[in-house]
Amino acid sequence: MAVADDQLQRWVKVLNQDACIGCHACTTACKSENEVPLGVTRTYVKSVETGTFPQVRRSFQVTRCNQCADAPCADACPTGAMYRRDDGIVDFDKNVCIGCKACIAACPYDAIFINPEDNSAEKCNMCAHRLDVGLEPACVTVCPTQAIMVGDLNDPTSRVAQIVGREPVTVRRPEKGTRPRVFYQGATQATLDPLAARRPDGGLYAWATQGGEHDPDHVAAGRPGRPGSSAEALLCYDIGHHAPWGRRVSLYTWTKGLAAGGLLVPLILILAGRMSWSDDAGRWAAPVLALAFLALTGVLLIWDLRHPWRFYLIFTRHQWRSWLVRGSFIVGGYGGAAGLYLAGSLAGSVGARQVAAGFAVPLALAAACYTAYLFAQARARDLWQSPLLAPHLAVQAMLAGAAAILPFALWLSPRAAVTGAEVLLAASAAAHVLLVLGEVTVTHPTEHARLAAHAMTGGRYARFFWPGLAAVAVGVAAPWAGVVVVPFALAGLLAHEHAYVQAGQSVPLA
Amino acid sequence: MSRPVHMPALDGLGVRVSAARAAAEARGETFYPGASRVHLAAFPPKERWDDWVELSSRAWPAREERHYTLVPTTCFNCESACGLLAYVDAGTGRVRKFEGNPEHPGSRGRNCAKGPATINQVTDPDRVLYPLRRAGRRGAGRWERISWDEALDALAARIRAAITEGRQNEVMVHLGRPGEDGFTERVLASWGVDGHNSHTNVCSSGGRTGFQFWMGIDRPSPDHANARVIYLISSHLEAGHYFNPHAQRITEARARGAKVIVLDTRLSNTATHADYWLSPQPGSEAAINLAVANHLIQTRRYNEDFVRKWWNWKEYLAACHPGRPVAFETFQEILAGLYAEFTFEFAAAESGIDAAVIAEVAGVVAGAGTRFSCHSWRSAAAGNLGGWQVSRTLFLISALLGAVATEGGTFPNAWNKFVPRPIHVPPHPGVWQDLSWPEEYPLAQNEMSFLLPHFLADGRGRLDTYFIRVYNPVWTNPDGLSWMELLTDEQKVGCFVALTPTWSESAYFADYVLPMGHASERHDTHSYEQYDGQWIGFRQPVLRAARERRGEKITDTRQVNPGEVWEENEFWIELSWRIDPDGSLGIRRYHESLERPGTRLTVDEYYGWMFANSVPGLPERAAAEGLTPLGWMRRYGAFEITRGQGAVHEQEVPDAELTDPAVTPAGRVYTSAPPGGPNIVPTGAPEPDGQGRRPAGVVVGGVVRRGFPTPSGLLEFWSSTLAGWGWPEHALPGYIRSHVHPARLEPGQLVLLSTFRLPTQIHTRSANSKWLDELSHTNPVWINPADAARLDIRRTGDLVRVETEIGHFVAKAWLTEGIRPGVVACSHHMGRWKLSGHGQVSAGGMMATVDLGRSAGGWVMRARDQVRPYESADPDTARIWWSDTGVHQNLTFPVQPDPISGMHCWHQAVRVGPARPGDAHGDIAVDTGKAREVYRSWLELTRPAGRVSPDGTRRPRWLMRPLRPSPAAFRLPDAGRASARSLP
Repeated sequence: MAVADDQLQRWVKVLNQDACIGCHACTTACKSENEVPLGVTRTYVKSVETGTFPQVRRSFQVTRCNQCADAPCADACPTGAMYRRDDGIVDFDKNVCIGCKACIAACPYDAIFINPEDNSAEKCNMCAHRLDVGLEPACVTVCPTQAIMVGDLNDPTSRVAQIVGREPVTVRRPEKGTRPRVFYQGATQATLDPLAARRPDGGLYAWATQGGEHDPDHVAAGRPGRPGSSAEALLCYDIGHHAPWGRRVSLYTWTKGLAAGGLLVPLILILAGRMSWSDDAGRWAAPVLALAFLALTGVLLIWDLRHPWRFYLIFTRHQWRSWLVRGSFIVGGYGGAAGLYLAGSLAGSVGARQVAAGFAVPLALAAACYTAYLFAQARARDLWQSPLLAPHLAVQAMLAGAAAILPFALWLSPRAAVTGAEVLLAASAAAHVLLVLGEVTVTHPTEHARLAAHAMTGGRYARFFWPGLAAVAVGVAAPWAGVVVVPFALAGLLAHEHAYVQAGQSVPLA
Repeated sequence: MSRPVHMPALDGLGVRVSAARAAAEARGETFYPGASRVHLAAFPPKERWDDWVELSSRAWPAREERHYTLVPTTCFNCESACGLLAYVDAGTGRVRKFEGNPEHPGSRGRNCAKGPATINQVTDPDRVLYPLRRAGRRGAGRWERISWDEALDALAARIRAAITEGRQNEVMVHLGRPGEDGFTERVLASWGVDGHNSHTNVCSSGGRTGFQFWMGIDRPSPDHANARVIYLISSHLEAGHYFNPHAQRITEARARGAKVIVLDTRLSNTATHADYWLSPQPGSEAAINLAVANHLIQTRRYNEDFVRKWWNWKEYLAACHPGRPVAFETFQEILAGLYAEFTFEFAAAESGIDAAVIAEVAGVVAGAGTRFSCHSWRSAAAGNLGGWQVSRTLFLISALLGAVATEGGTFPNAWNKFVPRPIHVPPHPGVWQDLSWPEEYPLAQNEMSFLLPHFLADGRGRLDTYFIRVYNPVWTNPDGLSWMELLTDEQKVGCFVALTPTWSESAYFADYVLPMGHASERHDTHSYEQYDGQWIGFRQPVLRAARERRGEKITDTRQVNPGEVWEENEFWIELSWRIDPDGSLGIRRYHESLERPGTRLTVDEYYGWMFANSVPGLPERAAAEGLTPLGWMRRYGAFEITRGQGAVHEQEVPDAELTDPAVTPAGRVYTSAPPGGPNIVPTGAPEPDGQGRRPAGVVVGGVVRRGFPTPSGLLEFWSSTLAGWGWPEHALPGYIRSHVHPARLEPGQLVLLSTFRLPTQIHTRSANSKWLDELSHTNPVWINPADAARLDIRRTGDLVRVETEIGHFVAKAWLTEGIRPGVVACSHHMGRWKLSGHGQVSAGGMMATVDLGRSAGGWVMRARDQVRPYESADPDTARIWWSDTGVHQNLTFPVQPDPISGMHCWHQAVRVGPARPGDAHGDIAVDTGKAREVYRSWLELTRPAGRVSPDGTRRPRWLMRPLRPSPAAFRLPDAGRASARSLP
């Protein structure tokens, strides 16, 4: 079996669901070994009932980090706090975790959480501290039926190598391309597929409650409505899950769009000949808008970190595969260009502004669009995997920028610039509406994407989505109605961002 | 791909402390292989338990070393008594965590969720730390802290007065979780008090009774690991005695291809893994067993040789078929007719299971040969009127197959259990406690504990001093509000003492709340049948052992326990000493040192003597390591005495034991030789012969063999005891229609199964373990969707009202296919509460706060506050994210004692419907007046000893009984009434 990547020790785990009796010993042993607080867990036993009396079965799934060979969490982590050791363990370093939750968003298995004691991300790391002193992980030693095994895939005598090589094993969500190193024996679709089993009514499981009564970011497990891929499957036990990115991230996408568009739109108007280099709206309002909303964006991003004082680690310990890092440099670069542009304005140097603009235009576009890549790094959040997301974000930046500059143009600029801004606003609003309608009317490639879209259009976030869409649509009237559409466009965009960001995280992954 | 930001540096630590195979073996130390079968160890080498170095999980990836002293003890969170290893932090002196003990032969280093959760109990912010005495009226929730001396002196004075004034029966100690083998009984015997009470008749008595009438031993010991077919009327993969040890062995057998048959009306985790899950109509289990047995009989696929040798068929023929020749062929002929009515179709009609399925199961059983292991403990045996016949008919299958004490068969537990003789053995008490062993229940397996409130209300007596120990009668028993009425009545219970590690619904009403230790804070020994072998385990205060290892001298467990938490061993010794300070009552000498006469026995001497004198092989094993036997047990926690005990009944009795032998015509052999051996495991105690010689064996195949501790020495297919004590119609394994048999249900009634357990809960101590409560904190009523539709219960989570004979409770509905239509189920453990107004004690942060009041119809309880986050010494209590605590259903159940076994028959005939307007989750309503009526109606089913005793005694003396009183005490008060009776 050519699973092994190289000749190093390669830790893997086998979870034998044929032997698992659903006793939760691994759960408490892990809590004990790793001092995991209430409300979060590194491992738990999911339980699903299938069938119709008297042919009924309860299936268990020990649910935890998959130690992916291609670990999205490590890719997404800006500082290398989440990293993959050479022996295959995906480990973490809480000293350099900034608490950005990118790893949580990226994990297709929802296996990572922020520990409330230290505000850093953690998850199962195979009890690396035990492996390194020659001990099996705590869950392995406690298990009454020896249903959990650890071993070296590169050692053919290892029990796990025999099982992985010779027995029918499965992994969770292979389609995510993460190459999990936790293999399931005897597991069923009913548990492996997070949407196979129906979410029970009444906030209840068979012996616990679903939680989330006071948690706006709570994501209940199980498929809402009818069961999914397994007949009559009913989720009997799971834990409370949480959307990693809350309102501050929704707001950030909006402020960042404003920051990008605030300078980009006037520069386009200048390049299009609708606005002159000496126009005060372009000279003062544009860079100030860009810098002000960039500053706000920065504040929101840092505020959203669970370790805000460690934000500088993004720059000093940058891990380039992380789009949070790339985005931060882009945003930083864009801020520099906008600053240079403003300096040119202050110095009265059109030449300096023109040079700055040469940097600012591509950086503004990049600042607008990189979030599509950041979101796409969340591999299991299917709504965010749209190839149209990057252009759509560019459109949104144009929409926001045009709406933001329009009042200033009306105040400071000649009619041509105003008309230009109005036309841009109308065009980008129309494009936005078309893109959104395309998004929600198209047949979604996965059940996850469909449910996320449904959460947006018909579920929890419909109250943001539809008013937001209508408000942006008002923006199409800009050439006729003028500045009065601006608040509609901006508020509509904000509502859309919130619905989109939250709906993308509203589908359970585990 | 990977980015080695923090590869572990080879700092030498890995070599220095590694438990891995090569490193450990290079140092000449023990390597404990784990499940993975790789170079990694499951546990640190025992040679390093004095100073084991681990890396901190929290500081990771910084490699911070932590030094621990590893001390074994025994889990206290069920009766399995699995080994634990406490990691005592060398820096803080506190226990950091509990893992399994690899030296424990039963649990083999593994645990269930409740084992690691022991640390929650130790650090529980709600725990009782100091002796408390009530400061207001009973149950008012006001307490004052007192010293242990005050408590001891007050209690000693009361008990001394009761003893000296001949009121021995006014002293009672009521045990919940015993967790020990015989210490408390010994204390009571030393006081001359028949005051042992247990929870067994609300637990396992039904299961035990069926086994006892067969083999004189009341517990089965299935050798699951070697079985070909495992037949469970239980959920031993997730609950019960002994879930972790048995789950290990059942899983091994499954991996080898053994077939598992599970009878359980609800879908348990065990049922899930079964090859055959049979969900019978509750109460029909014995009918299924008999259909299987009948199949074996009709197809002659039973073990004729075994039946011929080991069944008491001769006695049966002589008694029941006196005209027929006493020949095995006659018996076979009769046997073929005895169960002929139990066809697969009959069983199908009773159980609702397809006849073809039962036939297939019977075929599988028939193929098992002697590798047939079985278990029935609570479940059906605890649920139904006549439930004891469930285990009796189950063992019939084993006995037909000859799968008794065979490899892969089922052993009598006494052969796989070892109870070492202690340093002092007081005589049998000379009194009889009628409140526990009333005349109406001469065959009761254990104390009629749950009827105590009714007996006292009948005016049958009073209690001067009543102890409860890890026992919560108000919560655990049926009809708990009658208990509350009793415990608040100072005329009936003069002094109520709660020996408890946690607050409980009962402790609120106590006069004294005396804190006792958890698993790592007390001494006990125990031995349980978990495979074919014998072991003893040792529970110990781990900090005491750790500090003694470092050379400190600890003389009292309070010196190491939190606050002034004590342990019962030392408490009972001290209390006994104060009851009889000058020794004049003859009590003190049973609590006195042999080494230093005139001084108190210490736990060190008690266990030191036991391990040195009563545990074969242990002194030699200890000496080989340069340790005393006690030192060895303090270090390793468990000792295996034998493995592969085999068929003890087949063993020939050595001539040396047959002094002055006598042999009856039936082959029973008696001897004058005194009983030998240090193992005092409880078994039946067949009567001596007329010359006072004790039964030593039975002639089988021309040889004197040990046989079974039954009157006949054989397996008793026909019970002369049942026949002789008024129940001849049930003397054979048979089928008794349950009180919840469909024919007895009124239209619209369903059966409620209220007993099932979750693997994550500890009866009434779960609310003191945050991890367990987080995992499971509510008990919705399982309803089949078909029933739900019929009853207009639309969705899971909807409130339902469940009406019993004496009241109702309101719970959430859980619509599931995992329950038979016509049956609803609600798990045990949940619905913990504290009374509003008890704010003074920091009790029960994970319990609901309730208002309890009386209305015209009786008691009404409603939750005022659900669980919510709160600030405490543990930051986790501020993170409690759930609010639901479930419902305390037991309050609404009347007592339903089986007239033979005395077991409370838990299943309830109920009406279920949507909640009514105004109902709230957790509501309870109970009319204790009706509860009295139900008590009286069940009492009428009994056949009291005064009417049926064949010999003027209260109870067959051979039957097992805790704290068996002296022979004289067995006489009925008016023995003349019955002494002239002959056998029916």
